Amino acid sequence: MISLQVDAVVQELSGLVGDKAKVVYDQKAGFLRVETECKNAADVAKKMKETGFDHCISVTAVDFPVEGRMSVVWHVSSYTNSKLMGMLAALTVNVERARPEVPSLVPVWESAVFHERETHEMFGVGFAGHPDLRQLLLPDEFKGKWPLRKDFKLSKKREDLFNKGGAEP
Amino acid sequence: MSLPKEVPFTYEALSQIELKNGVIELQVGPAHAGSGHMRIVVWVEGDTVVKVDPDIGYVHRGVEKLSEDRIYIKAIPIVERPALVDTVNANLAYVIALEKLLGLEAPPRAQYIRVITAEISRIISHLYGIAIFGIFMGSSTVFMWALADREPFIDIMEELTGARITYSHIIPGGVRWDLPKDFADRLEIALQYLERRMKDYESIWIKNPVVEARTKGVGTLSATRAVELGVVGPNLRASGVGYDVRKDSPYAAYPDFDFEVPTLSEGDSYARLLIRVEEIKQSISIIRQALKKIPQGRVIYEDYYKRMSPLMKKIYDETGRVKFTSLVTSLSPPKGEAISRVEGGRGEVFYYLVSDGGKTPYRFRAVTPSFRNLPYFTHVMPGHKLADVPVIYGSIDYFPPEADR
Amino acid sequence: MSVLYFLPQGWLPLLESLFYALIFPGFVIILLLAFFIIWFERKAAARVQMRYGPLWVSKRTGGIIQLLADMIRFSFQEFIIPEGADFLPFVFLPGFLLAFAVLPTVFIPIGPDYTRIFPSAYTLLLAAAFTLVIPVYLVVTGWAADNKFSFIGALREAYLLISYEVPYILVIASMVLLYRTLDLVRVVDMQESSLPGILLNPVAAIVYLLVVIRSTGRVPYDIVEADSELIFGPYTEYSSLMFGFVMGVPYIELYSYSLLFSVLFLGGWAPMGGSGFVGGLILPGLLTFVKAVIVMCFLVFLRAVYPRYKLNKAMEAGWSWVLYLALVSLLVSAAVSRLI
Repeated sequence: MISLQVDAVVQELSGLVGDKAKVVYDQKAGFLRVETECKNAADVAKKMKETGFDHCISVTAVDFPVEGRMSVVWHVSSYTNSKLMGMLAALTVNVERARPEVPSLVPVWESAVFHERETHEMFGVGFAGHPDLRQLLLPDEFKGKWPLRKDFKLSKKREDLFNKGGAEP
Repeated sequence: MSLPKEVPFTYEALSQIELKNGVIELQVGPAHAGSGHMRIVVWVEGDTVVKVDPDIGYVHRGVEKLSEDRIYIKAIPIVERPALVDTVNANLAYVIALEKLLGLEAPPRAQYIRVITAEISRIISHLYGIAIFGIFMGSSTVFMWALADREPFIDIMEELTGARITYSHIIPGGVRWDLPKDFADRLEIALQYLERRMKDYESIWIKNPVVEARTKGVGTLSATRAVELGVVGPNLRASGVGYDVRKDSPYAAYPDFDFEVPTLSEGDSYARLLIRVEEIKQSISIIRQALKKIPQGRVIYEDYYKRMSPLMKKIYDETGRVKFTSLVTSLSPPKGEAISRVEGGRGEVFYYLVSDGGKTPYRFRAVTPSFRNLPYFTHVMPGHKLADVPVIYGSIDYFPPEADR
Repeated sequence: MSVLYFLPQGWLPLLESLFYALIFPGFVIILLLAFFIIWFERKAAARVQMRYGPLWVSKRTGGIIQLLADMIRFSFQEFIIPEGADFLPFVFLPGFLLAFAVLPTVFIPIGPDYTRIFPSAYTLLLAAAFTLVIPVYLVVTGWAADNKFSFIGALREAYLLISYEVPYILVIASMVLLYRTLDLVRVVDMQESSLPGILLNPVAAIVYLLVVIRSTGRVPYDIVEADSELIFGPYTEYSSLMFGFVMGVPYIELYSYSLLFSVLFLGGWAPMGGSGFVGGLILPGLLTFVKAVIVMCFLVFLRAVYPRYKLNKAMEAGWSWVLYLALVSLLVSAAVSRLI
């Protein structure tokens, strides 16, 4: 019964986004994966909102240094649409690790505002159009250090963390 | 209450407020009786709040980064500690994600035990929320009462698991301790005690005219706005959106139970208080149903039980304690991603786990309910009086260590 | 009329006056009373809240010397003066506050032989007037500390002071209308011959108690020193012995108000009478004192029941229903004064 509903949603969403994104249901992981390019992200997000995904649960990035890319993921779900209530969709955008910049989806989902701030300060992903991209959780000394990237090692000495940018002693 | 028209609520407008003459910037900072472990920067004009900026991160521990260096099983204590009052639900969410990656499921008895401990944790969390709400309004009575009424449940969990607050009870494959013989009787006594005490709370606190005067109409958030801002938990249900993960995408043994999800439509601080009281009553009912219907059986996954040594099996049969085999301590889930959503006491807990086949998680993303309730500071507080800032803060049950992770 | 008129002639009257001013019901008793009432507040709140309250300092007597231990500790701390604070008001105003908090008790008679200490026919006017001076010093204290929270606390005090002053004066006026005298000794005589004031004009008693709760900052009206909004209101920047002072001053204010209440409404020393220094002043004085302490105990117990009111609601109340009740009390007084 769940797969019929899921198929219907996949069909509807694929119809709306056309060839701007790839919509597939990941059976093992249990969520809907929507992969798209950086330039189409805002349009695809708007179409997803039309389908009924009305709030953003999380924004994060996964760092793949070996492959030279970072994948920025917006997890969204629905509070009001009864078909989509138990379903989760992950809008994924792959960007180059050297210049990770994506458009901010705050105009579409206002609930993403604090999550995008956190992803920016942890990974260095630039969100173009975000109204307020300051440090959220980290102190000002950490600006530019991007702690959650794979090449930032947790150091045992406090001075290393702040001065040498996290080099392992 | 109607908010003044010239107070803007979009982010661009909020960041462009100039400080005219007469606007004072107050640092309701970390060393303040009404702020918790965070700083709330409040701009007031006269007695009216114009802009609020939550400056969080004072207790940021880096849970996501720490878990990348540790084996999977060791992330459980790391994940529990931020959500300090509601530890079982954080624990449960992580283990559900891990079990999805591993492709196994815990036996039914373990699922029932997970539900019982999760509901006890929810009761503890709501009592703590009521206590903090009271002390922010100046009543130390309900603060002392609510914190003292958590003690029977904390004592019961201590007899079950050995720890008072951070139990680390749920592991992939089941739970670590089986219920002792007289657990059901003692829990029933504690539930009856709490039901008697809820009557006291009703007469002294909920029907208190000062409480009603201070909380009715304060911090109202409409249903559409609540959905747009993405708030979670009892705050969302008090605004009229009847969303509860236990009903809408159920996990553990919740489909077997019959309970209601209380929803109110006013969306003010009084409604948020009433919802928490109602949810305590629903949790009591769920625990009673679970204690009656709990199936017999093992509390650990069959495959893991088979690999235990004879000494470990003997310990399990005699005391109900599950010892870790080397399989559990060196889990290497296959490559993949998993998501778990669990309804914690404060709201929806969301974990996203990415595995690359190694012994440590590749990426662990944790979103806690308090972090998702942050828009209350920036979007709901402006327009109210300065005295409403602690009232709104206390009513959303915001817990800074949980939000900062 | 020079001030020498008020000085007693002769050695014995002088000693009696000094005893009255310094020991009972003077300074020493007031300090001991502050100890007692703070201990009582903490113990009563603790009993309600399922805990012990002060206990360890003197286990056999239930922790009654807790405040003494606190004061000793305070006196060893460093007295920090903020850099931007106005030195003279910041350091000396708590002393003024204490002086003016104690001052009304001089004018309130506690026995029928009061005139041997202070001969005056206007004691009610003097006592009521001096109780109204204290909040002004509080506003200046809040300004003197260079702290935004103190400033906001001072503003709140100014707002509330103005809101609750008018009902207070109306209540005093209605009691004067009822008893037709400004002399508190005669007020008690009139209550002795008819009924206590609280039965003659209960409306005035209620309004008076409300104003007392507001002026001394008892919960639910501790808006000025709101703990979770402004750290300690105008007193935020005080440390060391000054902190002990400013914590004790509201209780001494409370005592002044309660003494006036017990003389005006509860009949003072009513059943007892007598003459001479001991029989006419000290022994009836104990009865008045006990009545005042009972009123104080009731008022401090409110902290265990109610949370705090909001500023605008408290101000609205002061200008609306409290004011109406005060006007009603005037009418009640006018009606009842025909009968007694």
